[in-house]
Amino acid sequence: MDLTGVLLRVGAARPHVLTVTTPGGTAVRLAAEEELRRRGWPAALTPADTDVLLVAGTGTDVLAEVLDEVWRAMPAPRVRGHATHPGDVAAVLDAARSALADGIGQRALAAAARPSAPARPDQGGHAGGESGGDEDHGMSGPEMPAGLPTAERGEDRDGLKLDQLHVFLGPVLPNWPAGLVLRLTVQGDVVQQAAVDAPGPGGETGSFWTDPWCRAAAGEPVSVGEAALRRVAAHLDSLGRLLAVAGWDDAAVAARRLRDETLSGGRSAAPRPAVERFSRRVARSRLLAWSTRGLGVLSPDDAVAAAVRGPALRAGGDVTARYRRWCSELAAAAAALDDDAPLDPAALEPPRGRLGSPGAPAAELLAVLPGLLEGAELAAVRLIVASLDPDLDELPARVEVSHGG
Amino acid sequence: MVVSAPLWSVLVVPAVLLVFTLAAVTGDALLAARTAGRPVAAAGAAGPLVEATRLLVGQRRTTLAPDALLWRLGLLTVSVAGVLAAVVIPFGGMTASRMSVGVVWFNAMEVLTWAGLWMAGWGANSVLSMVGGYRFVAQGLAYELPLMFALITAATGAQSLNVADIVGAQRNLWFVVWMPVAFVVYLAGVYAFSFLGPFAYPAGTDLAGGVLAELSGVDRLMVEAGRWLLLTAGAGMAVPLFLGGGDGPLLPEWVWSTLKTLAVLAVLVWVRRRLPTLRADRYLELAWVVLIPLTILQALAAALVVLTLGGAP
Repeated sequence: MDLTGVLLRVGAARPHVLTVTTPGGTAVRLAAEEELRRRGWPAALTPADTDVLLVAGTGTDVLAEVLDEVWRAMPAPRVRGHATHPGDVAAVLDAARSALADGIGQRALAAAARPSAPARPDQGGHAGGESGGDEDHGMSGPEMPAGLPTAERGEDRDGLKLDQLHVFLGPVLPNWPAGLVLRLTVQGDVVQQAAVDAPGPGGETGSFWTDPWCRAAAGEPVSVGEAALRRVAAHLDSLGRLLAVAGWDDAAVAARRLRDETLSGGRSAAPRPAVERFSRRVARSRLLAWSTRGLGVLSPDDAVAAAVRGPALRAGGDVTARYRRWCSELAAAAAALDDDAPLDPAALEPPRGRLGSPGAPAAELLAVLPGLLEGAELAAVRLIVASLDPDLDELPARVEVSHGG
Repeated sequence: MVVSAPLWSVLVVPAVLLVFTLAAVTGDALLAARTAGRPVAAAGAAGPLVEATRLLVGQRRTTLAPDALLWRLGLLTVSVAGVLAAVVIPFGGMTASRMSVGVVWFNAMEVLTWAGLWMAGWGANSVLSMVGGYRFVAQGLAYELPLMFALITAATGAQSLNVADIVGAQRNLWFVVWMPVAFVVYLAGVYAFSFLGPFAYPAGTDLAGGVLAELSGVDRLMVEAGRWLLLTAGAGMAVPLFLGGGDGPLLPEWVWSTLKTLAVLAVLVWVRRRLPTLRADRYLELAWVVLIPLTILQALAAALVVLTLGGAP
């Protein structure tokens, strides 16, 4: 009897899936997240825990190298899938499960390569939150294990000379804005320097979240209620990420379930009372507020000076203030679902603030990000990014923002 | 009265612990299914078994230049500590080991995870994994002293470090009634040493899994199973320490032990889903400024009661 084959078939009933969203792939990502939640397939946090590497969206060219690296780091049994359209997701996942259960194919894969971290940590290391290593210095020094260079050193915040480490966050990182790459220099787990490196949108469709406003600007008839629906879903999506990063999985799942039900239910069947209950529950959680208080403070004056707009400007405070702002604006948008009047962008903004004249909300959020991150700890970095949740699909072109010396 | 079981019963302990652990993860899977809007059914309940199978057959992986010995040893420690901690827990009227310093043994086994998780985090030679390992040490600094004072309070009440004596001292009144602070702090400590729920910080989502980030296959299974074994052992130990052990009317002692252990487990599994993860630096403040003084006062109160009455009430 082929015991391994039997075990593979059993294990394939509940594979862990790492979803990588391409620029402009938000709609496919949402479909994938809903389908995974419905099937009860867990989301993988790193390549080490991944059975299925699912690419959501079109235009994977910018990601090709990173995807190969993630694939090499995945243990067998493993499968790659690519869904270019929301309707494809279920079929792609079904095919992935069959491939995982295929003992002969998986044995061949496992024999071909042993999974490991990237061979040279300073070349890449973008994968799934894996670290990059030290920069290419000190190669003439004493020989280190596996040919690794020795660490450089620099002053830390208390004036001590400590080892520095260069760490990439993104682009393949769950609960992370699609396409965002952060280059951090850390000492211990304190960020000394931060730089943002964001590829421009590759999708032709623009941002999923600002779509109703773009259509209204192009002269199409769009009602207030239709835009409010998108706004409710957008804030629930952002809250889902923040809550997952804050380690409150139950609330994160609840946020995503409400988001999916809002989008699929439409204006008439959106679960309005549940959304209001949920936003109250999150806004009132003392433990969450206690964990996030004082992180990433963006004072009203600084926000105005940096031309930040939308909820981040109106919150004018720390991570706690920003997610509470989402909760209150979420409830307000849910109340406008029945409004059939034509959309006036001045009265009801897109989720992250008004578009255009000049730039987009994402550009300003990315510009203030390095300043908020320097001096913060790694744990705070994820919370601060999640509390701003920039939507890179809004950007017209590639930006490079650097800060600090 | 708790009596020693024959020596071979040490072999039964892991099996019993595993059954209770399976009950806990199954309950957790069902709660997760409810939140996600899936039918709460047999398919959901089988989730943990499917997961274990998946990890058993999964390929192990390595990282660049790991410290393999520390790494694998650390991974093993978590499960081993969970099983060893359970050896001193009386079940009904029997205990596998009636050692005179049972409380200290339990505490020592739980402290083994400090070394284990740090080694597991360090050995992988990966930033996220290492930060996760250090997070457990930071968390340990916060939770360990309040937890030790909570354990000492129960021992003070019985004037013994022998777990069987502690059960015996609760014949008239369960310790939870006059040591409520110690009980609550103990339960928080159980979350902390099993790094689950509000204390899942070392394996946090913000670190892409922290100490778990580089693990696959059977390595991951050992750690994932280990933390649930530790949670279950902690829930089991709460029964003899604070809830009168197998004490109860009508039903046999082993039935009462089972019911009480399942009740504590149910509370732990349910509450864990209601709370976000606490950051260790924030919790450290609370632990040292509020919990340590509170638990010392609780231990003092217990000592005064014992001195005044000449024994437990």
